Amino acid sequence: MLELKNVNTGYDGKDVIQDISFTLNDGQNLCIIGPNGCGKTTLIKAIAGLLPIEGQIIIDNKDMRKMKRREIAGKIAVMSQLSNIFFSYTVYETVLLGRYLHMKGAFKGPSSYDKNCVDKCLKAVGLLKHKDRQINTLSGGQLQRVYLARTLAQEPSIILLDEPTNHLDLRYQAELIDYLKEWSSKDGNSIVGVLHDINLALKLADNFLVLDKGYIKSYGSASKAVTNDLINSVYGMDVVGFMIDSLRKWERIANF
Amino acid sequence: MKTKLYILITILICIIVIVMGIGIGSVYVTPEATINIIMNKLFSTPLLEEVQESAVSIVWNLRIPRTLLAFIVGGALAVSGTVMQSVLKNPLASSYTLGVSSGASVGAGIVIITGISLPFFKMFTLPLFGLIFGLMTVFLAVSFTAKLDKNMSNNTIILVGMVFSLFINAILTLMSALGREHIQQLIFWQMGSFSSREWSSVAILFPIVIIGLIVLIRYSRELDLLTFGEDQAYTVGVEINKIKWILLGLSAALTGSAISFVGVIGFIDLIAPHVVRRFFGSSHRIVIPMSVLLGGAFMVLCDLIARTIISPSELPVGAVTALVGAPFFAYVYFSKRKVR
Repeated sequence: MLELKNVNTGYDGKDVIQDISFTLNDGQNLCIIGPNGCGKTTLIKAIAGLLPIEGQIIIDNKDMRKMKRREIAGKIAVMSQLSNIFFSYTVYETVLLGRYLHMKGAFKGPSSYDKNCVDKCLKAVGLLKHKDRQINTLSGGQLQRVYLARTLAQEPSIILLDEPTNHLDLRYQAELIDYLKEWSSKDGNSIVGVLHDINLALKLADNFLVLDKGYIKSYGSASKAVTNDLINSVYGMDVVGFMIDSLRKWERIANF
Repeated sequence: MKTKLYILITILICIIVIVMGIGIGSVYVTPEATINIIMNKLFSTPLLEEVQESAVSIVWNLRIPRTLLAFIVGGALAVSGTVMQSVLKNPLASSYTLGVSSGASVGAGIVIITGISLPFFKMFTLPLFGLIFGLMTVFLAVSFTAKLDKNMSNNTIILVGMVFSLFINAILTLMSALGREHIQQLIFWQMGSFSSREWSSVAILFPIVIIGLIVLIRYSRELDLLTFGEDQAYTVGVEINKIKWILLGLSAALTGSAISFVGVIGFIDLIAPHVVRRFFGSSHRIVIPMSVLLGGAFMVLCDLIARTIISPSELPVGAVTALVGAPFFAYVYFSKRKVR
């Protein structure tokens, strides 16, 4: 269970998000939505422990501030956004790094369980046959999936995602969301994600948190939190009208 | 399989280069005679008839300690550079980035100018001062960074390191100006040399490098994770600040110990890690030991060139590492890149 109580945080002493409180029960997925600059990534970073906070973040009834880094990493994993690769590793080596917490003995190699786990995660993201490739030879979408496999290899109970579908084509976007949905349906796993595509968010999430200028505008199930008027006012446009208009165009193309 | 073959080739290169380093010089000693002398000294096997007593003395008392010291220093500098590049996530970082060479030079300068000799350490007074001042500089630079930036971000570390280096270099310039009669000695020390180094230097430096190497291999997973960025390493469970202190401290200690014995020798710490990564990939479990072997072999080769090319005079080995290393590095780095 993840609980945030009156969390404020930001950069250089300036709060970007303020008074954030919510509870996410085991097995529930949460999507954070809102316009650019509203503090979505900052909130993800705060939950990951990457920013100092005011207030409280409670993971499985324990205050995050009283937990060791390894203990937090055992419960929460973050799927990284793409960044520059300075030194290239193979796909297999990269995913194996997700087993850091679980690997015993600093001088020992990976156990057979670690190896199987890495293979399983690579298979899940469809990259098993590319395991010996260098990551600097992969496309953005493939690299995104490598990072997802590494996140899964960490075996957390909560995964934090920050725009995970950015570099993926439509097919992989749908596959990723399906896979995450399936992953979160087991063992009380949860996902907290920032997704720009509201259609994908609706597919993945049980709960929505709508952020506006660093504050919670609404929180709850889709029907409760994502009302037409609220979304339109947060994004400053007719969101639903825009989507329906797009769908009508597709319909015309499909029926041509 | 390919990696195993490369490891085997690297070990063979090291053996060949070491035998060359011991055998070649003003008096040429054949590889058979070299091995015979080593076996005689280590296991009391009989000497070959054609091996003269003078050759035994040259090989055992001069060439072997010099060659081994060059190998150890090269290995220490190379592995230190590897760690710095990975921790600071900067391919241009080196073991000198945090000012260890400037600090060590000031320490050496104090001993050269004042001529002091500590009672117990005697001839090791200079290395001791070099090491202490080198480490002190790094300690101050990292502590200052921690005060300025709680997260100890890489950019802050590099900037503070550069500022400290420039500041300490200014002190060194002042010292040189005040003690002009020692300026030549100081400049030569800064260029690096392995001449007149004895077994005692090897005996001190060898365990330091071995311990450093073992500890670094222990942290190879953390080093791998750090190359992906601090946030990623942190969320996987690495205690970033603690690990950074350990790795930067250890890297500085290895460089400080190495250069305090032989003076400042550049370039190896920058190129060896890149050459190793080109052939062995980036995993530090392989990169760390291979950096030691290739860095060591390269240093022995450079020292061999430095002492034979204008024999009986010697060139500063620091100049040779750059003269030989720059084109070699360019060839290895850019030819591989072209293939891709």
